Amino acid sequence: MARIVYPFAAIVGQEKLRTALLLNAVNPACGGILIRGEKGTAKSTAVRALAALLPPITVIDGCAYSCDPDRPEEYCPYCRETVGRHRLVRRPIRVVDLPLNATEDRVTGGIDFNAALKSGQRVFQPGLLAAAHRGILYVDEVNLLDDHLVDIILDAAASGWNLVEREGISFGHPARFILVGTMNPEEGELRSQLLDRFGFCVEVKAETELRQRLLLMQRREEFDADPLGFLNRWQAENDKIAQQLLGARLWLSEVVFPPHLRPLISEICLEHQVAGHRADLIIEQAARTLAALQKHREVTEDHIREVAWLALVHRKRQTAPLPPQPPPAYNQQHAEPPEPPSDQNQEQSHLEPLPPQDGAPEQAAATASEEQEPPELAPPAEPRDRRDTLEQIFAIGETFKVRKFVSPRDRIRRRGSGRRSRTRIAQKQGRYVKSTMVIKNHDLALDATLRAAAPHQLRRQKSDNLAVILKPEDLREKIREKRIGNFLVFLVDASGSMGARGRMAASKGAIMSLLLDAYQKRDRIAMVSFRKQEAVVNLPPTSSIEVAAQLLKEMPVGGRTPLAAGLAKSYELIRNYLLRDPTGRPMVILITDGKANVAQGGQKPVPEALALARQLAQEERVRYIVVDTESQGLVHFGLARELAQALGAEYFKIEDLNADTLVNIAKENLS
Amino acid sequence: MMKRPVFPFVAIVGQEKMKLALILNVINPTLSGVLIRGEKGTAKSTAVRALADILPAIEVVQDCPFQLYPGEDLEVCRGCPQIECSRRVLNHEPIPTVTRKIWVVELPVGATEDRVVGTMDLEHALKKGEKQIEPGLLAAAHRGILYVDEVNLLDDHVVDVLLDSAGMGVNTIEREGVSFSHPARFTLVGTMNPEEGELRPQLLDRFGLCVHIAGITDPALRVTIMERRLAYDENPEAFCQQWEEASRQLVAQIETARQFYPRVTIGQPLLYEIASYCLDVGVDGHRGDIVILKAAKTLAAFAGRLAVTKEDIDTAAELALPHRVRRQPLQDIVVDVRSRRQQVQGTA
Repeated sequence: MARIVYPFAAIVGQEKLRTALLLNAVNPACGGILIRGEKGTAKSTAVRALAALLPPITVIDGCAYSCDPDRPEEYCPYCRETVGRHRLVRRPIRVVDLPLNATEDRVTGGIDFNAALKSGQRVFQPGLLAAAHRGILYVDEVNLLDDHLVDIILDAAASGWNLVEREGISFGHPARFILVGTMNPEEGELRSQLLDRFGFCVEVKAETELRQRLLLMQRREEFDADPLGFLNRWQAENDKIAQQLLGARLWLSEVVFPPHLRPLISEICLEHQVAGHRADLIIEQAARTLAALQKHREVTEDHIREVAWLALVHRKRQTAPLPPQPPPAYNQQHAEPPEPPSDQNQEQSHLEPLPPQDGAPEQAAATASEEQEPPELAPPAEPRDRRDTLEQIFAIGETFKVRKFVSPRDRIRRRGSGRRSRTRIAQKQGRYVKSTMVIKNHDLALDATLRAAAPHQLRRQKSDNLAVILKPEDLREKIREKRIGNFLVFLVDASGSMGARGRMAASKGAIMSLLLDAYQKRDRIAMVSFRKQEAVVNLPPTSSIEVAAQLLKEMPVGGRTPLAAGLAKSYELIRNYLLRDPTGRPMVILITDGKANVAQGGQKPVPEALALARQLAQEERVRYIVVDTESQGLVHFGLARELAQALGAEYFKIEDLNADTLVNIAKENLS
Repeated sequence: MMKRPVFPFVAIVGQEKMKLALILNVINPTLSGVLIRGEKGTAKSTAVRALADILPAIEVVQDCPFQLYPGEDLEVCRGCPQIECSRRVLNHEPIPTVTRKIWVVELPVGATEDRVVGTMDLEHALKKGEKQIEPGLLAAAHRGILYVDEVNLLDDHVVDVLLDSAGMGVNTIEREGVSFSHPARFTLVGTMNPEEGELRPQLLDRFGLCVHIAGITDPALRVTIMERRLAYDENPEAFCQQWEEASRQLVAQIETARQFYPRVTIGQPLLYEIASYCLDVGVDGHRGDIVILKAAKTLAAFAGRLAVTKEDIDTAAELALPHRVRRQPLQDIVVDVRSRRQQVQGTA
């Protein structure tokens, strides 16, 4: 092969990552690895390097599905036909790349075009899942993978079987593979369903030791200057590791797991509130494998403690200290004060309704959010209408991870770009998801069309210069899907009453968190604030969240509360937006305590605002969210709640916005 | 594909940092690209298009859709649509090659994913009844420059694809019934106007260097810009001729630097300097260190020296670190790395 990869032995540091990879290479029952870490920390390099070290497996010659010769019950049609005449060959374990641009038909497999043309029959052509059987399925940037592909992989990984029912084919084959993924949490989180599929999770960080960094630079530069020479210099070291792997594989079946150690594993898992039993099983396997690597005959307590963290990082529920023993990877991260920016901007994909151990892994990253509820939130209520005309500017309070707001998915096709909501797309853009027989906008799905036509070719009259005759009934069109950002209007109450007792700081913190969230989802945003006598559009619709953040920082507070004017102003913005894009689903996030005290017309302020709210609620395309900033003390007025009812809005108290407290509400929202 | 005259690179007034960053990338493609941030009308696109002028030549198999040099990757040749060429390569027969300038391949913001990564060849499928790959832009950009104007406006899923192949240097296609992979190592050059929104962090890191440019404030220089532009618009050919000699000199200097580069050395203390620079200003990952090292060596080569100096490292850091310095969410990108370091050292 002409492609030279950086040798595994030459990787500097990253001991945990290397251990985790080696454990998996020895024993596939370890269940795969998820590698999380900032950019440029040798995540991908390490995985690719591992491929060069993997020991061979035995397969049947000519079999496209890598059938295991020892499991006749799973044989593919070819192997069944040739039973008794099998020729066994050994080949290295495959590392199959699943690129982000993959389409469904290549992942699961589909009809074989060439064979269909020649034989007129629907022959199954194996896809990536078949290629990965008994090998490694590697997804770089796994958090960016499309949801429908994730579903397919999950399904196969869970059952060890890939069942295909498409394009007139019904076929199944075994697909047991080690799933290895890398991700940078800055780009968004992983669904917890998928997270749990990974046996191990490793957090990688850059080396902070000067000498190590130096070594790393030098080696990399050496490699870039002369890859082949570098590889040759490291060949001996690499071979040694390969030998060690091979030895450990043979040794593995000899390793004894003393029964009295099982309770220890359960204890560790319980201590960390791990949901489900997968962690227990994986720790046991990992401990056995480590013993095998170190050529011990019996698993000891140390082995267990050394590997437990690998299986716990992404499964634990609470921030209990991890097993005391080795690398305090996880704890260190907790202690570190300068949070990398990533940690808070996560996509809340983990709020999918399903598993209860939810959120566990993200805690590792979202540290800041957990313990720090917006601090000054619960003081007793203060006197109504402190009409101080003083102007103040408050700092931005604590930010946190925001709960998930998505629009329900529907069948309306839209335009746009972003990441918040998935939608079917009418333009010839977006990811090609699957094909359909309904022809609408002539976005021809060539592959599907050809596959549909192929079986009929033998019967159709051939013309002179075309090998394939297409009939109208063969035509298939692409269904494309794309995530689009939403249009969010932040309607902020900047009146004097908001300034009291640090409420504005907390509110700003909440808005900032929402902005961070909007940034990840590539939303368009606008900001309207109201105070004194009027409402002002501080920020016309834009995608530049940075500008919004700057404005927020400088937003002054003081004066009375013209709530109705604010509502009216936000509606103006929304109306313009809807005129341009009638299929859009804008969202208004109203941050207020609801204590209106300036009216537009002759009515009293509060009834006026409520009446206006009821009118606004008539427009069904707009979603309202009311964030109540009133402190929950002895006396409170609940005006914001009334307003939310009038608007038909979802209502949250400011502390409810925090994603970590919101698992249950999220369920309702999603269903 | 071209032959309409472009504004000569050497005739661009000012914007020294941007020009330097581009030249460094031409000398050393492993620097993996440059991101140019700046307001509108600051010669961003002009400079990149003008690059074509000063690019060195490479040897490529004739008509190769994947821009390979002979025998670069036999796996690719096996599945290549050029059947005659593929047969010859696999039989180890000699194949014709051409020597041509490195290409600048432009990725338009509206590009669709299938054009970027490649897809099934429609015509061939209908005529011959066989599946065959039709290479995309990534294949065309191999060993060349991939230029994305307004890179921050690129569709999200296209960015994903770009990340995928920029990281690995290989483009893997698993779509529309085609399964294929080919090398795709390119220098990624992007321009953006930060007012229109930021770039995603992972993509940001893929750019080796990053420069900020602003409009020129010196009136005299502004006049020069106007004059040159006017002269060019009136008679492009004549204007280009006028600058031909200067272009040729630069090309020669780049050529020498390319030969110098492998021999450039760096002392141990300076390596420490690089590592501590990165630790001082606080950088994610290790790519920062590596890029500074490469850039500093390239700078030395460009200046005709065989040893890296402290100044090279300072200049290199200013180009390599602005987009890598760790920041709070939504904070602006650090423009002045040098003063950031002084600040940190001052407080320490």
